Amino acid sequence: MFRPILAALIAAAPLIAWTAPVADSLVRIEVTSQEPDYRRPWTGGTIGGGSGSGFVIDGKRILTNAHVVSNGRFLSVSREGDPAVYPARVLHVAHDCDLALVTVDDPKFFRGAVPLEFGGTPAIESTVSVFGYPIGGDRLSVTRGIVSRIDFQPYSHSGVDSHLTVQIDAAINPGNSGGPVLQDGKVVGVAFQGYSGEVAQNVGYMIPTPVIRRFLKDVEDGHYDHYVDISLSYHPTHNPALRAALGLKDDDTGVYVGTVYAGGASDGLIHEGDVLLAIDGLPISSDGTVPIDGAPTEMAEVVERKFKGDKVAFDVLRDGKTLKVEIPLERAWPFAMQANAYDVKPRFLVHGGLVFQPLDANFLKAHEPDDLRLRYMFGHYVSHSLNIDHPEIVVLSNVLADPVNAHISDFRYGIVEEVNGKPVRNLEDLAAALEVPGEFTVIKLLGPGRPIVLERAAVEAARDRIRQRYGLASERTLKP
Amino acid sequence: MKIRTLTSLPAAIILATFAFLPSARPAAAKPPVPAGSPEATPAGSPAPAPAARPPVVRVNSTNQPFDFAKPWDKKQPFLRRGTGAVIEGAKVLVTAELVADHTYIELESADGELKSPATIAAIDYDANLALLVPTEEKFLAGSQMLAPATGARVGTRAEILQIESNGDILRTPATLTTISVAPYPMESIALVTYRLTTALQTRDNSFVLPAIDGDGLLGLLMRYDSRTQSADLVPAPVISRFLENAASGARFPRAGLGFAPTRDPQFRNYIGLANGDGGVYVTMIQPGSAAESAGLREGDVILSADGHKLDSEGLYDDAALGKISFTHLVSMGGGKPITLEILRGGARFPLELTPAPTDPDKIVSAPYLFDKGPGYYVLGGLVFQELNRTYLQQWGGNWRKAAPQRLVFLDAFQDEAPGGPGPRKIVFLSSVLPSPDTIGYEDLESLVVTKLNGRPVHSLAELAEAAKSPVNGFHKIEIEEDPRAIYLDAASVSANQDPLAKHYGLPALERLP
Repeated sequence: MFRPILAALIAAAPLIAWTAPVADSLVRIEVTSQEPDYRRPWTGGTIGGGSGSGFVIDGKRILTNAHVVSNGRFLSVSREGDPAVYPARVLHVAHDCDLALVTVDDPKFFRGAVPLEFGGTPAIESTVSVFGYPIGGDRLSVTRGIVSRIDFQPYSHSGVDSHLTVQIDAAINPGNSGGPVLQDGKVVGVAFQGYSGEVAQNVGYMIPTPVIRRFLKDVEDGHYDHYVDISLSYHPTHNPALRAALGLKDDDTGVYVGTVYAGGASDGLIHEGDVLLAIDGLPISSDGTVPIDGAPTEMAEVVERKFKGDKVAFDVLRDGKTLKVEIPLERAWPFAMQANAYDVKPRFLVHGGLVFQPLDANFLKAHEPDDLRLRYMFGHYVSHSLNIDHPEIVVLSNVLADPVNAHISDFRYGIVEEVNGKPVRNLEDLAAALEVPGEFTVIKLLGPGRPIVLERAAVEAARDRIRQRYGLASERTLKP
Repeated sequence: MKIRTLTSLPAAIILATFAFLPSARPAAAKPPVPAGSPEATPAGSPAPAPAARPPVVRVNSTNQPFDFAKPWDKKQPFLRRGTGAVIEGAKVLVTAELVADHTYIELESADGELKSPATIAAIDYDANLALLVPTEEKFLAGSQMLAPATGARVGTRAEILQIESNGDILRTPATLTTISVAPYPMESIALVTYRLTTALQTRDNSFVLPAIDGDGLLGLLMRYDSRTQSADLVPAPVISRFLENAASGARFPRAGLGFAPTRDPQFRNYIGLANGDGGVYVTMIQPGSAAESAGLREGDVILSADGHKLDSEGLYDDAALGKISFTHLVSMGGGKPITLEILRGGARFPLELTPAPTDPDKIVSAPYLFDKGPGYYVLGGLVFQELNRTYLQQWGGNWRKAAPQRLVFLDAFQDEAPGGPGPRKIVFLSSVLPSPDTIGYEDLESLVVTKLNGRPVHSLAELAEAAKSPVNGFHKIEIEEDPRAIYLDAASVSANQDPLAKHYGLPALERLP
């Protein structure tokens, strides 16, 4: 299993000065975080903490991992060679590529720190050094290893994103997160994830500089815009019959399009069954790779390096003709529901003791519902275009027992389809529908079953009682 | 999950049948009561004639299920044992589960002196009953025979019969505690069950056992939970109906509707149910069902059935069984019409419902598949099957979470199959036998097929028919999910079919249901 490598909270201790200038730029980051409770969304959540690593870069900034500072309530940093502890704040955080920028307002902090510079992508088998503050002691730790593999890998922090990743065999342990990986005095990556020892040994991953540079460029305008995506699935064309049927020559080029995700960037522009022959002029091999810097690289890397508002051009084979198709790129929003969310308040609404929440990855992790329909709708949300009819899937997540809802507990984990005849496509729809006056509130859930009926007067009478009994600080959060 | 890692079928079935095997902790010790001892005989039961053989026999069934991962093969055979009840007409009654996928059934007298092969005269997996006939004519000569008991009520004292290794009959007292309508093991129908409290010992590793009362055969055990010491029986009324069905060839009828209780007072106010009224709210009408033919609609309230007033849970007061679900009238009436009193839009009126057995052709995913090989069709190494629940159960006791989720969903919500409702099956690509034709397709599995060569596929038969007409020299298989479409070279597939069958040891490239 992937695990982020944020160490448990360890008391700060003075550190000896490191001889190399590199050491003066290393930062230990202590974080107090508060993780929202998706089972009791009206509470502030559980307070915890941990520590990670980071390093000073130009512009009085500290680069670290997003998962080090996620859900942070208070950050403090200490630098190698300076015994003081400084409060810090987050400048930018990119959960989709697990990077964050932190700064310290006290100018004393940056005195004597040499901003580290970035290098390129290290060669396979070349040696790299990992700096940081991992578990096993209080002082700076350095481990060394070689570059084992350069590949696309899932980033476990968001759970849905994959980017270029460099695998190294240096020990990377909890607390290393956010620390620099150096080669010839330059940063070639940020250590960020690994496997637990039970799964694989000597496998650590770092975020390479193309991903880091993209993040730094994205935030130049003061705002992080997320990665962009073409929102389609493509498949290799190894099969000779498949190639012949699609009208492809025997030249090992081209991938064919399986699903164009509804509502995504390619929707309407690329068709299912199209063959993609080239991307921005680079020929696409039958296994989906393109030559970048002389090496076959996953074609997605071309899109990876682009930004919101950029376009990507495909040479497309459709119905025997080759045409050029330009796609204006945008964030892959339909997938956001399946990604782990951070730094947001859980959205919810309580009505008559019924708790309604939108379905997302955080919800699923907290509730672990057995409901087959709910699990299906989460898993196939994008691939079956469920996102079109359900921009949000509103779930009856709990029933706070009260006389007003005495016969409703069996409906838990039902998906709200409509209220008083009005379709509910998101939590705001539900809130609005519940405002409409009337004697009864009739809530129809997806699938067979009777509707839930609440008498308006009974709900009103129960309102204060439920708020007090269950300690509801508020009855709703509509904006995250 | 790779199909190759499927849980073996014997394990899955053992799980289903022996789910309540006692744990390592022994059941409460109880001195065995000798057969025929006065304490063990319920009051009023006739003392067994000393010379007569007891009305129970050992049933040893060798079963060999099909291997759904390789549907052309059968799995390892295994032996299952149970105790059958000898009933009038010199037949032996056991649960259907005991003999599912049987290859050879052997009956053995309690004392072990006589043995006879047996054939199945009738089997109903819905009702979990099978009627066996010994092929040796004299096997049951001199044996006592049981008739289904009548007049059992909550509180009735009974005995559960087991056969000791020395041929004695172990009689364990039991008390009937609950009569209710509950789903049967195949979950295809809910019928009346008896629940007994009893402290059973283990014999022959089996809890397929007859229970008797002073009046006759009370029922057959189908489940025993040693922790709560409770046994669930296929009861005498279901046995009687099964025996009548066996004679006439009929099956248990159904209404084909779903309903919800109307206890919730706010819901009652909304649908306009008066305080004194009971009734159940119709939530679902199965397409093509008896309920649909009767003109029932979603949102109707069923107030009474054949003059019996329903309470808000759907229970009525049965003269023989006490408070029990009105579905008992539907399933046990032999298909006779039932008059329902309906509340719809404020109006009350009668509707006549004629319960009927489900037409297997109208079931999208069959609830079970025993005794016959699963249908399959192999095209150039792609293996196609039709969805049924037994296939999904190959993933073991946790199959609802472990089996391919799309297929589990389609089995659970059969009306939501792609292409809409209607008489159809779900055809899916279950696995791939790698061959030169399937390069690049090796990892495909559990994908629902929508079309072949441009023709919609609603059954394996339609798939096989469409496979005769490749388009432009290719077979184009369209599937519901990624990669959406795959192609095979038709000429190459034809040329390679026989070598493929030989290579993988397939006796045939298709078995159409």
